[in-house]
Amino acid sequence: DNEAGRYKESYSKLRNWVHSSLDLYKTELLRILYPVFVHCYMELVAKGFAQEAREFFQSFRDDHQPQHIRDLQKLEGVITPQHLQENETACTLQENKVHVKMCQYSFELLLQYLQSTESMLMLGIVNSHINLKAVLPGQPAALLDDDESSSLPAKVQAVVEATNQKEIHWGILEGSLEDKFEKQIAAELEKADADKDAETDEAKKRAADGKVKKVKRDKAGKGLKAEPAARSVPRLKPELTMPLLTDDFERQALDDLRNRVKLGSTALPSVSCYTFVNTNNSLNCASISADGAYLAGGFSDSAIKLWDMVKMGEPSMYSDAGKQSLNKRPTPIRHYIRLVGHAGPVYGVDFSPEGDSLLSASGDCTIRLWSTRLNANLACYKGHNYPVWDVQYSPVGHYFASASYDRTARVWSMDRLQPLRIMAGHLSDVDCVQWHVNCNYIATGSSDKTVRLWDVQTGECVRIFTGHRSMIVSIAMSPDGLFMASGDEDGAIMMWDLASSRCVTPLLGHTGCVWSLAFSGEGSILASGSADNTVRLWDVNGSSKVTADKTRRLRLLKTLPTKSTPIYTLRFSRRNLLFVAGAFSPSKGH
Amino acid sequence: MSIVPKETIHVIAQSIGISNLHDDVAAALAPDVEYRMREIMQEAIKCMRHSKRSVLTTDDVNTALSLRNVEPLYGFASGDPLRFRRAVGHSDLFFIDDRELDCKEITEAPLTKAPLDTAVMAHWLAIEGIQPAIPENVPIDPLSAPPEVKKSDIPGLKPDQMTVDLKLPVKHVLSRELQLYFEKITELIVTGADDVLLKDVFASLATDSGLHPLVPYFTQFIADEVTRGLNDLPLLFSLMRVARSLLLNPHIHIEPYLHQLMPSVVTCLVAKRLGGKNFVNHWELRDFTATLIAFICKRFGHAYYNLQTRVTKTLLHAFLDPKRAMTQHYGAVKGIAALGSKLVRLLILPNLEVYINLLLPEMSSQDQANELKRYEAIRVYGALQAAAGNCIYEMLQSAPPSRKKPANNKSQSTTRKDVDGDASMHEEDGADDKDEGVKRRRRALSEAWKEDVEVGDLINSLVDLFGEEMLPFIPMREMSKCIL
Repeated sequence: DNEAGRYKESYSKLRNWVHSSLDLYKTELLRILYPVFVHCYMELVAKGFAQEAREFFQSFRDDHQPQHIRDLQKLEGVITPQHLQENETACTLQENKVHVKMCQYSFELLLQYLQSTESMLMLGIVNSHINLKAVLPGQPAALLDDDESSSLPAKVQAVVEATNQKEIHWGILEGSLEDKFEKQIAAELEKADADKDAETDEAKKRAADGKVKKVKRDKAGKGLKAEPAARSVPRLKPELTMPLLTDDFERQALDDLRNRVKLGSTALPSVSCYTFVNTNNSLNCASISADGAYLAGGFSDSAIKLWDMVKMGEPSMYSDAGKQSLNKRPTPIRHYIRLVGHAGPVYGVDFSPEGDSLLSASGDCTIRLWSTRLNANLACYKGHNYPVWDVQYSPVGHYFASASYDRTARVWSMDRLQPLRIMAGHLSDVDCVQWHVNCNYIATGSSDKTVRLWDVQTGECVRIFTGHRSMIVSIAMSPDGLFMASGDEDGAIMMWDLASSRCVTPLLGHTGCVWSLAFSGEGSILASGSADNTVRLWDVNGSSKVTADKTRRLRLLKTLPTKSTPIYTLRFSRRNLLFVAGAFSPSKGH
Repeated sequence: MSIVPKETIHVIAQSIGISNLHDDVAAALAPDVEYRMREIMQEAIKCMRHSKRSVLTTDDVNTALSLRNVEPLYGFASGDPLRFRRAVGHSDLFFIDDRELDCKEITEAPLTKAPLDTAVMAHWLAIEGIQPAIPENVPIDPLSAPPEVKKSDIPGLKPDQMTVDLKLPVKHVLSRELQLYFEKITELIVTGADDVLLKDVFASLATDSGLHPLVPYFTQFIADEVTRGLNDLPLLFSLMRVARSLLLNPHIHIEPYLHQLMPSVVTCLVAKRLGGKNFVNHWELRDFTATLIAFICKRFGHAYYNLQTRVTKTLLHAFLDPKRAMTQHYGAVKGIAALGSKLVRLLILPNLEVYINLLLPEMSSQDQANELKRYEAIRVYGALQAAAGNCIYEMLQSAPPSRKKPANNKSQSTTRKDVDGDASMHEEDGADDKDEGVKRRRRALSEAWKEDVEVGDLINSLVDLFGEEMLPFIPMREMSKCIL
């Protein structure tokens, strides 16, 4: 009885001491409270003081609520020693020491306190579970305010550091559409220059109408000239065998790129919003094809519904037939095609780059391939043992990656029913997956609050990004392959530099899960769609150009609220039109 | 210790046929049950997140259970709220009220309407970064528009750079839908639809968010119809309710149109004749309009500091002009009363005595032969009485009289609490106090607007004027202190 009481007493003493210390050192000393608190609780549980452990937990829980709410929720139920063995969070906490960095002075203050008060309990906990690091001899003000280090177990930290040393090639692919496009432009530019030279000679002789022409040509020339300046991104040879694109598609895509609207902080995109109505909360996910012509929704009743947005304006064929027939009751008009095949909620859908096929991931552990031309199921990929949370086509098509509850991400090719690679390493569910633009890497976001980057060829983890405070729900890659953005459950978005695996800057503003992220075609704008019913546009041009200048913050350009429609997905078309989609879900109050 | 008490474990054990579960077993199981439940809920939350929802459903729990290879719970998928009942004779035993249904009834019942099918709508959320003002979008806030951003506010910006940020809201264009909406609503108001429909109309006007573009049209409509339809009482009533709905709508910024709206509203309060024939019950309309005016002044008074002054001036003018009709006086009194007790003190009470003296002959059957006019006078009298009474009541509520009773009041020491007794008390007053008392009370009434006026005197003078009918307005506690 007395022993249990001592935990509470010494912890509250330590807490009071920290809170009454000088503001200068307080922020640093506060970091130690959470690990001490958690370990006190777990020791109480381990010693069988269930009642006292619960009391202890409740009395100090509010201190840590804002930062660690999810961990606390997971730990709260643990009351018997047996639970300690089973609980995932408890296990990781017990196995790993926690790193806490503080300046020399705070470190000494703490030691002095622990020794002078003879609180052996606290000293014991700090000794066995916390790795105190006195980093800087100077004043604490010099220390960066990154509390990521305090929340990360030491063992993981070491792995992270080792992994992040690996070399990655972030350039874009040789022979990709962008590459072809730029080459084409360069060729045209040369030709145009030659033309212009010839024309200037003639222009002197010619009359006014020639002048008009020249002005036009100049304008075009300027627009094109600006393009190669950005061409600093290195080209890479593909490591995978690349599928061949059809000529038609390639021509059209290049045409789109040519007509791409240039976006920036002063030229914001147009946003077209597709709103699902009457979904009765059953829409789980949505996807829009690259040209915005198709819209697919995955529903919790296992169905996928496919809308052809081009036909939407036209009167439906069914309705005409209904009018003409003798039966006066009109047949119900259905504007969509229902794809049935899954046996569990559909958690993810994705269109192929050409828009002719569709992949869906479901709670029945399978991934299915559908043709949007035939409106039929083509293949069913089995391999995951648990629900598949997300699926995504590679930027060139043919290959795709999936993320699952079974803590793995898998890479597949359309012609094989078995996965090509299995990426294992995440400590919890893999919730989302995103291909790198050069197809050599995939990024996965997980409930273990990290984002990992995997080499598709070797299946190895090459980068671990730590810093998020909750589950990662969306990832986007910048078109130059240099940066990655990830959004989490709390509404924070982080911009990462792939090469250094450092967070460039967090983008704060959303108040709900960031369900979707997308970079504009040339990478100057990041769009985010969230459960808080807004689309936000962020200026990211600053960061990708001036990487050395760390002080330059990315800023919010615009918030576009919807009428009570959480944004499930968004994507930029090749011409930089932003499509967003979500299910209209009026609040219950009305 | 655990949120699951061990009694619950006993109940569960009994339900599966174990009647003699040992207490220790139950106590050991309880924390584990809690832990497993929490685990399941964590999994369910995970499923909820992946379904991109923020509300946990029974489906999520079932998915979580099947992830753990546990049989899902059947019978909870309908989404109807579950009704738990307490078992008779047990204070801690609950069960789900699951009625037995007759299959025949269900099969023979007519088919319910199929729910609406899922559909997709497309609209422009933004055009080059600017949200167009269409009904599909959240209404733009007209007050946050350009004027706040002055050039001087942003130093170091060239004028031509400014124009980039200062794109004005998209031009005022009425969409076809809005036009139809307006036409339909005005038609319903003018033709006088049935109550249910009108109720929906007002609800729509009070809550729909896309109506801002229609506000000028509606104010114009109200103004036109009020001048045209002064004899049509239902129409006037509907119009006032339209005005009220528009004022209630949180998405509409009606301030710029208030000056257009106010004359019509004031008309409906103090017009000489509302509704064609004299016996039509126009009093109700006046009462309604009075509260409407008070609402307007309360809500927009801070933005238009002279709004209330102007309204009050109009009302006072109507009240003090003896040539005006009784109906107009009634409206004015009601309006002032609705604006609050301060105004009653300031405007009505000082003039009350003179007014009542003029009013009394109108009310007596000997002096006023016209029965209708007499009725009108009685209405005004009632309104005055209510206004004065409420005013006194509020004064007493905010500042109870602190004054000691005058020494010559013999019956003040009374501890009688009942109203009847108090009422009779004031008649017991000595005759010689009365003259002096009356003088002081008169003074109190004419100086009612002063801050330091004695509440007790006021009450007494009002009781003099109105008699015992004033007494119900006065809380008992205060009454015992003040009544002389």
